[in-house]
Amino acid sequence: MSPDLLIALLTGAALLGVGIYGALSQTNLVMIMMGVELILAGALVNLVAFWRFLHPDNYAGQMFVLIVMTVMALEMAVGFGVAIARFRARGSVEMEEARELQG
Amino acid sequence: MAVITLQTFFIAGFGLAAIGFGVAVFRTSSMMRSALALLFSQTALGAMFLAMQVEFLGVLQIMMMATEMSIMAIFMVMFMMDPGGLGAMEMTHQKRLSILAGVVGTLFIAGIALFTSWGAVIATAPPAAQQTHDLGIELLGRSMLIFETAGVTILTAMIAATAIALPSLQRNPHHEP
Amino acid sequence: MSLLVLVILAPLAVAALILILRRASAALALLGAGLGLAASLALLHQAFDGVYPTLIMPGLPGMPLRLLSTPLNALLSAMVAIVGSLVLVYAVGYMHKDPEKPRFFAIMLFFITAMQTLVMAGDWVLLLVAWELIGLSSYLLIGFWYQRPGVRTAASRAFLYTRTADLGLYTAVFILIAVTGSSQIASTLHTSGHAALIAGLLLLIAAMGKSAQVPMHDWLMRAMAGPTPVSALLHSATLVAAGAILLIRTAPLLPADALLVIGLVGGITTVVTGLIALGESDLKRLLAASTSSQYGLMLVAVGAGVPLAALFLLIAHAAIKSSLFLGAGVFQHSRGSTLLDDLRGAGRDCPRSFAGFSLAALALAGIPPMSGFFAKDAVIAAALGSNHVVVLGVLALAGTVLTGAYMARALHILWHGERHPKTIPGQLWMGSGLAGLVALAAGLSLAFPAIEALLGQHLDEGARAQLAGLAAALSGLTLGWFFDGPRLLGPLAPWAKRNFAIAGGMDTWVLAPVLQLAEACDRLEHKLFSGVFATGRWVLTVGHTVRIIDERIIDGCIFALVRGTQSLGQQLRKVQNGLIHRELAVTATGTALILAFLILALVLY
Repeated sequence: MSPDLLIALLTGAALLGVGIYGALSQTNLVMIMMGVELILAGALVNLVAFWRFLHPDNYAGQMFVLIVMTVMALEMAVGFGVAIARFRARGSVEMEEARELQG
Repeated sequence: MAVITLQTFFIAGFGLAAIGFGVAVFRTSSMMRSALALLFSQTALGAMFLAMQVEFLGVLQIMMMATEMSIMAIFMVMFMMDPGGLGAMEMTHQKRLSILAGVVGTLFIAGIALFTSWGAVIATAPPAAQQTHDLGIELLGRSMLIFETAGVTILTAMIAATAIALPSLQRNPHHEP
Repeated sequence: MSLLVLVILAPLAVAALILILRRASAALALLGAGLGLAASLALLHQAFDGVYPTLIMPGLPGMPLRLLSTPLNALLSAMVAIVGSLVLVYAVGYMHKDPEKPRFFAIMLFFITAMQTLVMAGDWVLLLVAWELIGLSSYLLIGFWYQRPGVRTAASRAFLYTRTADLGLYTAVFILIAVTGSSQIASTLHTSGHAALIAGLLLLIAAMGKSAQVPMHDWLMRAMAGPTPVSALLHSATLVAAGAILLIRTAPLLPADALLVIGLVGGITTVVTGLIALGESDLKRLLAASTSSQYGLMLVAVGAGVPLAALFLLIAHAAIKSSLFLGAGVFQHSRGSTLLDDLRGAGRDCPRSFAGFSLAALALAGIPPMSGFFAKDAVIAAALGSNHVVVLGVLALAGTVLTGAYMARALHILWHGERHPKTIPGQLWMGSGLAGLVALAAGLSLAFPAIEALLGQHLDEGARAQLAGLAAALSGLTLGWFFDGPRLLGPLAPWAKRNFAIAGGMDTWVLAPVLQLAEACDRLEHKLFSGVFATGRWVLTVGHTVRIIDERIIDGCIFALVRGTQSLGQQLRKVQNGLIHRELAVTATGTALILAFLILALVLY
């Protein structure tokens, strides 16, 4: 087992953990989005490592990476739009106060 | 026995940097510093890609993430309550659950990574020009549908984001007394 | 035929009318009795002409009901109608002050209906029905003043006595119908042999009950607790006559042995009840004992084989005894009591009534030229000419002597005493009724030849019988006038006062066991009743329990289910708290679980 692959995979695992911690523990919407960014970054690392070390001839791996990057960007864009709208409506983007959907 | 080369050291170094900056994102109480820490984390990841001889994706990563994080920093300054973080408030909740979830997730994936036999590792990668050429062929050949779908999705997201972010003419009269 | 119907229906319809209207009851009663009287006299006239109408009505299968007007029936019907009408005239005055007149007159008319039906009955079923109905009327009339002490028990006693004796009649009728196969009286009279003997003895038992012969004579004396018109009509002329009428009508059926028993019973009764009358302290009870005595004489005549003599005595006695009772009623109103001690000298207060009373008394004793003389002589002649002249003749003559004795005793007490003049309300009516009956009592002997011609039979009265009868009557009258009654009796006096009761009498032998049986049945019924109620209560309890189970348990389960579902929903609501981070946590946990599951599946399989 190549150490490169292992290191890359472990990095991906660590980024995933940090990202989960951030997504679940932050009160601010933007910080939650940052956590999600980190999770997706971990996934990216994994994908690149798999392509480079296991299947360098199949470029579908690189396609996947492109798509994930696109999704990251899009998610941030829409997320910020929602945050602006919320800020305009309520005056803050704190998630502690977001109880409107309480049933 | 694995072969430890110089490449390995660079990958490890950039990997640690990414993790470190990622942890720093959530340890500061300043929004600006969080955004910048994220920026450096993603950049480290891009550098890692470059170290793994995946030039195109590495460059792409660095470029995109830099732009995104910059915009995020501007956003922070516009809309955040305490962008400088001088108030030093504890802005977290359900901390124990989150730490537990993070640790469990990390260990889980790490365990899978360690205990799976990934098969033979191919040592050499194609040259960069060849990679880009083949990626282009792939993009416009077999994965054309995927790319078109991605394009449409981008367009949709742009419109959606713009629509949400526009101040609504009906909404404002509700909030002005 | 319509006359037959009118005779019976006129009094009945008027009785119903009186009960409905409850006013002018006296006038209506006289109207009803008058209509019945006219109809029965017309029937008698038709019988003289040889017309005998018959009415057949549907009854039991194979046993139609018949009303027929033979000479005997027409004669008896006329007697009942005449005596009934005159007594009702008297009753208008007697009941003048009584508040319950409608009930009295209605029941009297009902009785007259029942008696007419009995007399005209042509078949046994109708006769039995009429027999029972006159018993019922007697009970109602004896107990008319039911609020007074002792009256109700007297009525019940009379009813129970006669009812017990009626068993004999029922059994006799069953035997006769079973043997001959028809219920028509005329056809059953041709029975002979053992059936005739048994039937005859059973008919005697029935006659003993109804006509108050020994040993069933006690009820008649107690029946004097009713109003005097009731005593006059029922207990002298008609109801007690039913027994004698039964024997007279079935005389062709009776064999010689039965006739002997009948004669003996009659003879013993004559003497025993005559002695009782001699020792009595109440005028009406004296007259009641006298009634039993006279009917005993009639039974002697039947036993001697000459029913015609009994018939003559019956008709004469009807007029005589009812006029005696009506007179006693006048004295009762004048002194307020019927005890002989209270009535001393009452005769002087109402001289006209006393004159009628004494005329009837002499007629009863058998003094010519009144009807009693000829009737008594017929009986004595029959007794002397019979096969058992020794027994029957002696008893008949003894009876005649006693008759004179107690009648003279009564006259003596009524005449000798102080005067307490008092105006009696309704005296006019009472006097008219009394006068009518006294006239009949005196002059009925003129009609005897006509009756003989009607019935187609002839009585031969020997001079021996006439002389013997006259001597007996005169000696009896002398004894009674000059000697005190109880002293004449001597050692028999205390026994006579108790109506010659033997070994406790009917009370211990009949009354007590019957009443105990009735009480036992009542207790049984109470137990059954409470058993039914207990079952009902148990069923209700079961139903109640089922309802409670349904409400509490079944409904309770259902509502508990409802509440559980609602609370579950409330609990689940808390999950939806709208907080983003909570939802993220749930998402993360869920994703982790799914991944773990998938990888586990991958690893294991």
